[in-house]
Amino acid sequence: MITVGMDLGTQRVKAVVLKDGTVVGRAQAFAGFDPAKVAEQAVNDALSAANLSLKDVNHFTATGSAMDIAPHANSTVSMMGADAKAGVFLIPQARTIIDVGAEEARAVKCDDRGLMTEFVVNERCAAGAGAFIEAMARALEVKLEDMGTLALQAERASPINASCVIFGESDVVSLIHRQESKPEIARAVFDAMADRVSAMVHRLGINPVVVLSGGVAKDPGFIASLNRKLDLTVTVPEYPDYVGALGAALIAATRAKGASK
Amino acid sequence: MSKEKTVERRYLPEISQKEMAELKNTVKTASQKIIADNIERMKKADPHRPEAMKYFDDIANLFGRRQQEIQAEKERGKKVIGYMCLFAPTELILAADAIPVRVNSGWYDTSKVGDRVVPVEVCPVIRSTIGAKMIELSPFLEQSDALISVLTCDGMTKLGEILSDQTTVWGMNVPRVKDSNQSLRFWSDEIKHMKAQIESLTGNKITRKSLKEAIANSHRATKAFRRLQDLRKANPVILGRDAMLVNQAYSWDDQKRWTEKTEALCAELEVRVQQKDWVCSPDTPRIMLTGTPMFWPDNWKLPALVEEGSPSGVIVADEQCSGERILNDPVGVDEWSMDDMLNAISERYLMASTCPCFTSKDGNEDRINWLLNKVKESNVQGVIYYVIRGCMLYAMEYSRVKKALDKINIPVYYLDTEYTREDVGQLKTRVEAFLELLNARVDF
Repeated sequence: MITVGMDLGTQRVKAVVLKDGTVVGRAQAFAGFDPAKVAEQAVNDALSAANLSLKDVNHFTATGSAMDIAPHANSTVSMMGADAKAGVFLIPQARTIIDVGAEEARAVKCDDRGLMTEFVVNERCAAGAGAFIEAMARALEVKLEDMGTLALQAERASPINASCVIFGESDVVSLIHRQESKPEIARAVFDAMADRVSAMVHRLGINPVVVLSGGVAKDPGFIASLNRKLDLTVTVPEYPDYVGALGAALIAATRAKGASK
Repeated sequence: MSKEKTVERRYLPEISQKEMAELKNTVKTASQKIIADNIERMKKADPHRPEAMKYFDDIANLFGRRQQEIQAEKERGKKVIGYMCLFAPTELILAADAIPVRVNSGWYDTSKVGDRVVPVEVCPVIRSTIGAKMIELSPFLEQSDALISVLTCDGMTKLGEILSDQTTVWGMNVPRVKDSNQSLRFWSDEIKHMKAQIESLTGNKITRKSLKEAIANSHRATKAFRRLQDLRKANPVILGRDAMLVNQAYSWDDQKRWTEKTEALCAELEVRVQQKDWVCSPDTPRIMLTGTPMFWPDNWKLPALVEEGSPSGVIVADEQCSGERILNDPVGVDEWSMDDMLNAISERYLMASTCPCFTSKDGNEDRINWLLNKVKESNVQGVIYYVIRGCMLYAMEYSRVKKALDKINIPVYYLDTEYTREDVGQLKTRVEAFLELLNARVDF
């Protein structure tokens, strides 16, 4: 049984190929202006990585904010449903999955089958999401991927207010004017984000084990800040940015099985 | 007719006639399109829509038939009394042979006009009503000879004050703790004072006979109203949106005619129950809405998303002052003396309300009880707790409601939004995820 999960996110499109419960291919690309076309490409790339082609696929399931325009999709699933499914598949003890993407953070609680029981989404502001780190990296003139390691060097925290990316940026600028060091400002950025995300997760209630997924889960600076704020250690799976696509592929497999019965 | 108030405007800025006309024209055109679109979508969602809905589609046009009828009545000398909260005792207005009409604004675009007066943090229902007044958009607000402003939330409290720049506004001071005798006495005095003001504006004395008749008419309306809500309790024979429109139309329609038309609708639906002619599959998730009022016409986006989503749900109940709270409770009269009727009105408007402006020893227990009862009676499977940003009281009561619903294992989703069309994509994601959760799809 071969299925494909596509996650058409706000910034990147991810595709995962699943063969009998094992990931055999994955690929991703910038969503850009034509996410449907990019998704087509990502799917083809993921399939060629597995030496497969479109006709081998039993079922395609799409998720992500642009899931309605996904090519080949036989079905769709919400991002929260996909996160829960993949979170428990990867970490069987997982009961809370926090997903921090480019423009949205969300948290899902689920049961042992990976069925979501409750979820919460950040309030329409990117201050708790990846776009915030990007904007702040720009203000600090450092590479996005260096922000995390920089933050880990900080000796203390300087608080900023991340209720909004724009205001957050002006806070960062005042820290720059106060001649705070770059590591401290970088840490302030992650602390502020982690504040927002943890407040959201606390509203939902935390059931351990907590899994962190999404593109931002690759950032050690954010992980450190979030662990401090939540006072626990989040588990980060190997390919955190593919969790949504994997969830969709897993759901595709159950749906394909259901259909062939 | 030249009763122009000459007082200096304390809040509202001057807008040139030209700008006002342009804004009014733009918003009105957009609004008429939204009204038509909303109805089109309701028709599409239920191709076999009840015949009786045709009447309500007509009444739903806020710039149509009802506006003209009220205008004609005004020309014959009738007074129109607008109100902005359900606490306004409409029986007294009707007993004085005046026309009650609710004037809360559901227009998104006028909230941007209201932004010129109050900051964006203020509840959009308030900003939008201010904006509607500034560009004279709302037929019913413009036709009102006086407005009843009930001091419930902070927004409502100041809204009346702001509108008093251009209209006669009567404040009604509602006590925030209702389970005490002082509160009821205080509120009864407010009701009696309102009676005197209505009599003075209309020049009509409210008599024992006219009040008794008004209460009896309200009883008939309540009966029809409840009959409709009862029909939503079993397998769905009507879209939630259709029922919501009927419920809300009561706020501006002619009472007697509304009652007749609602009875006709119910009769039609009862046949469908017999024929097992469901409006959607009986296993569609059954949703209850609670929270901030949802005013026609623009603010219809959430019910549309719920009932048109993939997966979709059906709205079977609500606990909103724009919905089921409108006519749920009859005025309970023992003896038909003037005093007894006035006391019964006072009790009905104060004690039956589940508005979050109340608190007491047990907090707003009445609201929790309403919600728990509704869940049971209407076999609700999930609750959407709807809050418009700036609506503090509803936002603050959420945690308590969630705890109460958690106890009976009913999922609730807190959905916050604004008076804007632009967030529909985001809301769709959330609503559909919640419906997916309720479906607990077997294929997971």
